[in-house]
Amino acid sequence: MKKTVIGLNLKYFLPAMAAALIGCISLFLPFVKTEGKWISLFSVCGRLGGSRADFLLYGAGICMFLSAVLALFSFVCTKKGSVITWQIVQVFGTIFMTLLIFSSKAILESSGVSTAFLNRQLGIGYWLGLIVSYVTLFLIMRITKTNAGYVPLTILSIIWLFPILWIVMTAFRAEQGYYVGYFIPHGFTIQNFIDLFSNPGVLPFGRWWTNSMIVALCGCCFNTMIILMTAFILSRTRFQGRRAFMNILMVIGMFPGFMSLVAVYNILKGLGLNQSLAALIIVGAAGAAMGYHVTKGFFDTIPKALDEAAIIDGANRFQIFTRITLPLSKSIIVYIMLGGFLGAWSDYIFPSMLFGDKQSSYTAAVGLFWMTDFRRIDTYYTQFAAGALVVAVPIVILFVWLQRFYVEGLSGSVKG
Amino acid sequence: MADRQDKKVKEAYRDRNFVTIFTRGDIFSKLSYVLCGLANIRNGQVIKGCLFLLLEAAYVLFMIRKGASLLSGLGTLGTNTQGMVFNEEIGIYEMIQGDNSMLILLSGVVAVVITAAFAALWLFSIFSGEHARARRAAGRHVNTFVQDVKSLFNDNIHFSFLAIPVIGLGIFTVMPLLYMILMAFTNYDSEHQPPGNLFDWVGIKNFITILSTSDRLSATFWPVLGWTLIWGVCATFTCYFGGMFLAMVINSKGIRFKKFWRTIFVITYAIPGFISLRFVATMLGERGIFNVLLQKWGFTQSPLPFLTNVSWARVSVILINMWIGIPVTMLMVSGILMNIPGELYESARIDGAGPFTMFRKITFPYMWFVTTPYLISNLIGNFNNFNAIYFLTGGAPNSLDYFKGAGKTDLLVTWLYKLTKDSNDYNLASTIGIMIFVISATFTLITFTRSNAMKNEEGFQ
Repeated sequence: MKKTVIGLNLKYFLPAMAAALIGCISLFLPFVKTEGKWISLFSVCGRLGGSRADFLLYGAGICMFLSAVLALFSFVCTKKGSVITWQIVQVFGTIFMTLLIFSSKAILESSGVSTAFLNRQLGIGYWLGLIVSYVTLFLIMRITKTNAGYVPLTILSIIWLFPILWIVMTAFRAEQGYYVGYFIPHGFTIQNFIDLFSNPGVLPFGRWWTNSMIVALCGCCFNTMIILMTAFILSRTRFQGRRAFMNILMVIGMFPGFMSLVAVYNILKGLGLNQSLAALIIVGAAGAAMGYHVTKGFFDTIPKALDEAAIIDGANRFQIFTRITLPLSKSIIVYIMLGGFLGAWSDYIFPSMLFGDKQSSYTAAVGLFWMTDFRRIDTYYTQFAAGALVVAVPIVILFVWLQRFYVEGLSGSVKG
Repeated sequence: MADRQDKKVKEAYRDRNFVTIFTRGDIFSKLSYVLCGLANIRNGQVIKGCLFLLLEAAYVLFMIRKGASLLSGLGTLGTNTQGMVFNEEIGIYEMIQGDNSMLILLSGVVAVVITAAFAALWLFSIFSGEHARARRAAGRHVNTFVQDVKSLFNDNIHFSFLAIPVIGLGIFTVMPLLYMILMAFTNYDSEHQPPGNLFDWVGIKNFITILSTSDRLSATFWPVLGWTLIWGVCATFTCYFGGMFLAMVINSKGIRFKKFWRTIFVITYAIPGFISLRFVATMLGERGIFNVLLQKWGFTQSPLPFLTNVSWARVSVILINMWIGIPVTMLMVSGILMNIPGELYESARIDGAGPFTMFRKITFPYMWFVTTPYLISNLIGNFNNFNAIYFLTGGAPNSLDYFKGAGKTDLLVTWLYKLTKDSNDYNLASTIGIMIFVISATFTLITFTRSNAMKNEEGFQ
């Protein structure tokens, strides 16, 4: 290619065109093996039986063919517009080709071409077409200088959202039960949510949710205070035994935490606090100091000169803490509060051990887990999904809203 | 003038240590080794000295009334078994309340911790008295009680700020830990359950059984340890590189709506782990949605044993852990990626480096340099990644070759939890806990030597 067009990188034009042509050729290669004979995608098109997914087959064929035509057209008349059109067609072609792998079974079985179809019966025509369609897409994106990252991002997003989508679908599903043979519910309802809250005798979910909220809010406040104070002392002051204190904390932290839960339980019993929400809050706050690292790292990045200036102005350490350090640490405070809230909100092990069978003080985590017991899962599966949504939604909102602080807090610590 | 006096005080104070305070001190200093705070009282800090004395009196009273017997109970862990004893006076068998070894051990630990706290107070009072004496001897002002209290907001702010964390950690972390560590040296297993039975010290027998005998226990321990290490390494590195890749893609030039993409991935992180993991576990079941769809789409004819076959289950948990872990790394790495100086890439591009070369020569070395400590702590975290295993498989598939209830995907921690919760073999659980500690400590030591080495080569930028 000797031509130059502004906005296009024509170095990749010939490979892309070659790939598009190979993609077109692959349509005529054996697509599927049936009754011992290989037939191509085109001949399958002629024998379709009216499945809902048939359009994918047509779409893939048409797009791949169009893509080759557009490649030749762009070769003759290289314009930005023509290449962009080519890219769009290729995007659709790639999507259709990819979706075919999920719908071939439905298409082929409804058309009677194949019975008891398995994907491994797909032939070279399909696999070559699939690979080549991606290669073509990447090459065209090179020509148009589009970031190819969109392709993996899209695929990964779908994988990542799939289970979440399933939770949402299940929560709104009208048909009860665990085992369903389809992804999209046949009927949508909000009855699951209503059941969740309207049956306090058997399933006091509202109570559990409130319990969780109380514990998480209190835990969040106390933990944040304790962590901030500890981190401030360890970062901004020097005293005898400071290193020793940090080392002791590190050593304690290396023991698996719930090794000692039994003992904690007995101590709480001795203090008369077992089976109460206060115990959860107290134990959470008692161990909070262990998580001082990130905050200390953040405080370390605040210039010492600020403290010194304040001392010259006659401030004491306490005032430095409240008037200088804290106002400068908004992002890290949000970070710890979020962490404290999340930690208490989703803690399962300790509450489950603490409350045993005292259902009325369960937190939402313990309660939800109780619902997934194999004896109950079939009855409560959709309600479990609804409960999971009720529990997860506040966190997701918080998280998406405060994401910036989270990144800042974390990266601040690493820098320090 | 004041400076010189300060120096004098410091010098007078410096060569004093725990021994020399006694040998070189006056009669009050010497006596304050027995009666805490006497030196403070003598040197003008009456209230402080009296407080020390009062606390000492309280401790002594506690030891006389209770503590001594509690401590001595630690030696035997109880001698009277609960049971029926013939009462000759009445002529019938009576149920007698035996000793409860567990409570004896626990209260013994409480007494030990109180004693340790007192020892700290005792040392503190000695040094505090010496400090007051040195200042007075040098003719400097000795702090009054009110000034001492005020200093809690200034020079001594660490006492007031750390008081709550230290007390909290002492009661709810250190004391239980001591208790559990001691338990590793007893035979408190399912057959020695108080209050019906006593348990006793057995030395390091538990460690020997777990580590070296050809017993079923060690035949469980070593494979579980092996899987724990494999899991830790796989889980850490898949998430690390996956997260790095994702962060690089999202942060690369030309990707629009960065925040939107990030949010999509962050959602999995924001949903509490127990929910998403429990749900994924149900989805992977034999008749779960994954198997249903895979059959419907023609990938397989019979359901795949995602969580029931050993190898499948092990691969599944690692993959699902990627689903949870990659967004975490992505968030963390995003911050660091933005910190890499852009000129490095600029000059590399001028020199003709492609994207892969740039990753290999710039991005990766930089990331590796910054994140090694994070990586190691992540590795330790994954060795102890209770949630991922417990909520997904619960350790299943179980194996008959393994000790009670342990399964093929069990990590040391989940096995530990099962031992405490299901079979009440506390001594074994504690022994395993100590093993986990040893592993974590080894890796932490490696980090420390590594990161010290890295501090010396700060010339990366």
